[in-house]
Amino acid sequence: MRFLRLQMPLMLTALAGLIPIVAFFMSPDVEWSQWLKDRLERYMVIIASFAILLGVVNVVQSNVRKIERRQKGWPYGATLLFGMLAMATIGILGSFRVGPFQGIGYTPDGGRTPFQWGAEFVFSPLQATMFALLAFFMASAAFRAFRARNLEATILLVAAGVVMLGRIPFGESILGGRPYLAKFTEWLMDWPNAAAQRGIMIGAALGAASLSLRVIVGIERSFLGLEKNE
Amino acid sequence: MDLLNLTRANALLLFILFCTTVLIFIGKARRGGSLFIRRIAGLNAIDEAVGRATELGKKVLYVPGIMSLDENQTIASLAVLGHVARMTARYNTDLDVPNKDPLTFAAARETVKEAYLEEGRPDLYTEAMVHYVTYDQFAYTASVSGIMVREKPAANFLIGSFYAESLLLAETGQTTKAIQIAGTAEIAQLPFFVCACDYTLIGEELYAAGAYLSREPAQLGSIKGQDITKAIVGLYIVIATILLLFGSSHMQDLLKIE
Amino acid sequence: MDWLTKLMSLDRRYIFLFVAIGTALPILFPIGFKVSITPPVRNIYDKVESLGPEDVVMFSFDYGPSTSPENDPMADATLRHCLSRGIKVIVIALYPVGGVTMADQSLSRVLADFPQVRRGIDYVHLGYKSGSQATMKQMGESMAAVFPTDRYGTPLEEIPLMKRVRNYDDMRLVVSFATGIIGEWWANLINAQFHVPIAVGCTAVSAPKYYAYLNSGQMIGLLGGLKGASEYEKLLIDHYPDARATYDRAGLYTAIKGMDAQTVIHTVILVFIILGNVAFLAGRGKR
Repeated sequence: MRFLRLQMPLMLTALAGLIPIVAFFMSPDVEWSQWLKDRLERYMVIIASFAILLGVVNVVQSNVRKIERRQKGWPYGATLLFGMLAMATIGILGSFRVGPFQGIGYTPDGGRTPFQWGAEFVFSPLQATMFALLAFFMASAAFRAFRARNLEATILLVAAGVVMLGRIPFGESILGGRPYLAKFTEWLMDWPNAAAQRGIMIGAALGAASLSLRVIVGIERSFLGLEKNE
Repeated sequence: MDLLNLTRANALLLFILFCTTVLIFIGKARRGGSLFIRRIAGLNAIDEAVGRATELGKKVLYVPGIMSLDENQTIASLAVLGHVARMTARYNTDLDVPNKDPLTFAAARETVKEAYLEEGRPDLYTEAMVHYVTYDQFAYTASVSGIMVREKPAANFLIGSFYAESLLLAETGQTTKAIQIAGTAEIAQLPFFVCACDYTLIGEELYAAGAYLSREPAQLGSIKGQDITKAIVGLYIVIATILLLFGSSHMQDLLKIE
Repeated sequence: MDWLTKLMSLDRRYIFLFVAIGTALPILFPIGFKVSITPPVRNIYDKVESLGPEDVVMFSFDYGPSTSPENDPMADATLRHCLSRGIKVIVIALYPVGGVTMADQSLSRVLADFPQVRRGIDYVHLGYKSGSQATMKQMGESMAAVFPTDRYGTPLEEIPLMKRVRNYDDMRLVVSFATGIIGEWWANLINAQFHVPIAVGCTAVSAPKYYAYLNSGQMIGLLGGLKGASEYEKLLIDHYPDARATYDRAGLYTAIKGMDAQTVIHTVILVFIILGNVAFLAGRGKR
């Protein structure tokens, strides 16, 4: 039991972590290392696809429970289940080409299958709506956050103002059609911005490498639900 | 036939240098050497956030990002989740962990369950605490925003890998007056979190979070080793830049990987 | 409560109202601002200009419906540019939620203007593949291993264009239209390992992070948000007379038209930021 719960997951983690590293440093002529790497990558794709089932089962379980107990927000749970079941049914019927459900994309004459219709006219607008909210939230966050509280905040405020103006034609118009702001914006993005980004990237990359090493050698194991005492 | 890809010898040397430094410091830490890690405000604020939720009798919402377990930020986030779950178990505070990725969901569930066991409160743990929502980024965002608005958690943790949903979640949380602690290494999302959250773990602070919170010597040792490597890399960049100014690109060329 | 305090603690719904009006008005009544070209966009245009009918360019649709107003115009413009020059095009989708639909829609919009372009000979649509990083690396070994058939079920060995495309070595450029991390993977994984030139068209929000890759040479160019897309459209209109007719068509959503709304919104936000700071500084002066 201890082997299954502790040693085997840690061994598998170490192995899965080491294979790509070994393959990266081995000569491409060493067939076994490339073979192992390819297998691992393929298994990752397969496991990731199957893992979605885990989630689906949980969604059904938790929402059915919510509806049964008439918990707060249960109508949302019912809507979710209805949407999921409807699209899954249409998708499965389409995959087997049953009756009017001929596929899940476009029909050969360019028409839409029911699944495609649902994706295009229900799902896509809902997604776009959520993303569009960003414009509103960005405006309110910018209004609240960009205050000249101190020198650093003032520099940030000025840089933000320049970039916002430099990214729109209006910025040119107020300078008599000369693209100074656009050029200054490009300079800001190319140099100060890229320098800061790289600083954070290098630090984060070393942090990620250190975390990976901790995972491979089995020091960091919280993601397996294991604690340090185990 | 060569066994090693010699065009990547420079990368191999760097890899060995990095691993050796980190492992040396892990060993040193295990032998009881003293290690100083600077204070990270965002992590110290976790106690305050959970404490506030406990006082108000409201729940703690923990969002572990939207990526899977092959993303290091998710693993770092799970380490923080373990710490938060131990605290909610200790203080008998409600915890809610909605998930977008199914693998992260499975790991988060194990992490929380284990934390409640470790605190001796398995009776407080319920399956509903860690639940799956959807694989779609914006449907997930809508669902989590709904939780924030309807149930008004007193503390929101947004820790892990985030993309366009970062500001949507952080701003919604801000309207509910919750104390918000965020953390990500996604550079494009950092400004949003800084604007809308009370505390933000930036890049490597997130990766160090697990070690910082666990105070486990071996983990702290790895942070120290990583810092030493960073100093070496920094020094290398400075010298290479100076040499480049004098027309020599040798040091820069040494790092090119085929 | 004096006006300063009121302004400082302005209900965010007023801001939302102004943003909504600022977006709707320019869409209803287009203004037509001038577009200027920046080097990251020009570089992609020049790269495509250097290619001809014997070259292959791959387009990866790595975004979903949520960011389509930003990503669609850039995908359409670059695709239109390649087809205008007779460049052979491979289309794939790596974004799980809606990526392939975006590819379908972009192709159908653009191909309507190119009746002479033949499927399988001038372009191939390989559809969606999951697996992200692993899939991208695998394509460096063999395209056929990742996509055994095209989007319409035709085996790859039966597609004339794919007979001469084995992997990235046979492509002159890969363009990713990305909303999340997939664009970054093209630059930091695929360019680093396989050296195929990469161009990325991303949302404006994620554009700053790509400058690090642009400066290091891991990307040849960048289409940053609606602004980048509008610049590409402008280049196309200026150099290809057919494109002008296309983009002048009424009812067609273009980045140049979208820039009107973006211009007004940026201005609205700037005005709010200035007002907020005036109130903040005046309030501090009083204290």
